[in-house]
Amino acid sequence: MSTSIDTLESVGPSALKRLQSIVGNQQFILLLVLVALVIFFGERNSLFFTSSEFSNLLIDFSGLALIAVAETYVIISGGIDLSVGSTQAISGVGGGFAMQSLMNHHMSETGVLLIGAVICAGIGLVVGAVNAVLITKANLVPFVATLVTLSAGAGMALVFSRGAPIGQNPEAVAWSATGIGPFTWLVIIVISITTILGITLHVSKYGRNNFAIGSNSFAARAAGINVKRHIASVYMLSGILAGLTGMFFYIRSGAGSPQVGASSNLVAIAAVVIGGASLTGGVGRITGTLLGAGILTIVTDGLIFINVQPTWNQVVVAAFIALAAVLQSIRPGLRS
Amino acid sequence: MSNELQPIIELRDISKSYGSVKALIDVSFKAYAGEVIGLVGDNGAGKSSLIKVISGVHAQDSGHLFVDGIERHWKSPHDSMEAGIETLYQDSGLAPDLTIGANIFLGRERRRRGLLGRLGFLDQRGMEREALTELEKVGISVPASKRTVSQLSGGQRQAVAIGRAVMWAKHVIILDEPTNHLGARQSQEVLKVIAAAREQGLCVLFISHTLPHVLEVSDRIIVLRLGRVVRDSPTAEYTVESLLGTITGLSEVTNN
Repeated sequence: MSTSIDTLESVGPSALKRLQSIVGNQQFILLLVLVALVIFFGERNSLFFTSSEFSNLLIDFSGLALIAVAETYVIISGGIDLSVGSTQAISGVGGGFAMQSLMNHHMSETGVLLIGAVICAGIGLVVGAVNAVLITKANLVPFVATLVTLSAGAGMALVFSRGAPIGQNPEAVAWSATGIGPFTWLVIIVISITTILGITLHVSKYGRNNFAIGSNSFAARAAGINVKRHIASVYMLSGILAGLTGMFFYIRSGAGSPQVGASSNLVAIAAVVIGGASLTGGVGRITGTLLGAGILTIVTDGLIFINVQPTWNQVVVAAFIALAAVLQSIRPGLRS
Repeated sequence: MSNELQPIIELRDISKSYGSVKALIDVSFKAYAGEVIGLVGDNGAGKSSLIKVISGVHAQDSGHLFVDGIERHWKSPHDSMEAGIETLYQDSGLAPDLTIGANIFLGRERRRRGLLGRLGFLDQRGMEREALTELEKVGISVPASKRTVSQLSGGQRQAVAIGRAVMWAKHVIILDEPTNHLGARQSQEVLKVIAAAREQGLCVLFISHTLPHVLEVSDRIIVLRLGRVVRDSPTAEYTVESLLGTITGLSEVTNN
């Protein structure tokens, strides 16, 4: 590996190296793709550039951002969390029941939403803790462990709700539209959490440990890192973020739907992979994930704008995953 | 220095089984500061099990471990590190996707000063810089520490791994097959670093299959066979042939 880089350094002028590093920089390419998509959809339908559509894009992006960030932590640590979608559903349903009861007791709307958020996060934490126990105590591989909670969560959400949305909270829907310009409060909260977790991943010891464990868990353990405890915490974090995403969709629709998030685990994983993370762990960036999530959001919304059947959506998503995978494989000096 | 009364590390009747396999049987030896000890034996002789017990990866079933005269019980590798023992495992001591600097400081990250540091921000630049200077101190020069370990050659990786062990060890460094997969020139560099570690007063446990390397750099050689210590003598008393005979057990047959 190093020899190829060394020869390039000695042969080529710095321009060649710079070109190589730009082409090798997946984030730069993702940014280009994102801009190209915006121009493409805007060209086909000028309504795409309106501020109300911008606001819609932000909201759709926010519905994906938290679980994509969660998935970034999990995937960099060398695992995978398939349960984030159904955790949204079970949290939304559970939170919906709780908030309905609070409203029946005439609690103020703010109080209802705050306690609801805590309950949703708590339900997510429980699911994450179950994942953590299955992985670190029962030694199941993350794929199987989170497949278990995926099925159990989705099933329980349907059983408890009997398939219908739980709660009627038009005030929550009304609040979801308020904010600063195109940035609703919901979007601002999601962006704040995303920013904090993104910085944490890249500058803190916790984030550093996450990369080290995904890169070589034996080396991490030998360096004195408590690998099991860290892995457990990552799945619990993922659960909390999925639970909060359940609350997010409760507020947007004014009820906790058992159907919500049915495919969002795969979209979140797609965002992370498009963003350049390695499914074998140790590699990834929050900015890449967010660009990936942005691209997927724009494609999903944009296809509706240019009157393409939404059913094509998954095919286009698949094309982007393939593109990202190809980019990774041609990137120089990545893995030995 | 090697004649100080207090051994820096002492094992007394250490035994360890994995299921029905007896990996270590009543292993005892003493090691002193400023001493390089070669630990040799055939595959399955118990070398790896022994270093795992000393470094806290596994606990022994019975027997006692003393560091600097105090009996210790490791709960994790972290405990042995805190006690001044650094272990370099075969082929797996580094995280390939992390930079050189991040690997050197893995598990010992330093925060930035001031408010950002209190918020948990790591001093990434400072650590990268210090990693390079510390590696140079033990005679290891590597390319810019911002490079990830996966971009280094095998020899460079090993140099970084050993440099890290020497840099952090207070008492003992354990090197498991550090010259494996290395060319002749790179191996010599590794042996030089081992000699430098001895000069710094560290005790080095050097595990290797490459007997000429062991004979070249160690002061004393301990031979393990089927989980037992079968010989523990100064290096001068061995030749390649007698060492090989002790490892395989053939010399006992001829002696009898």
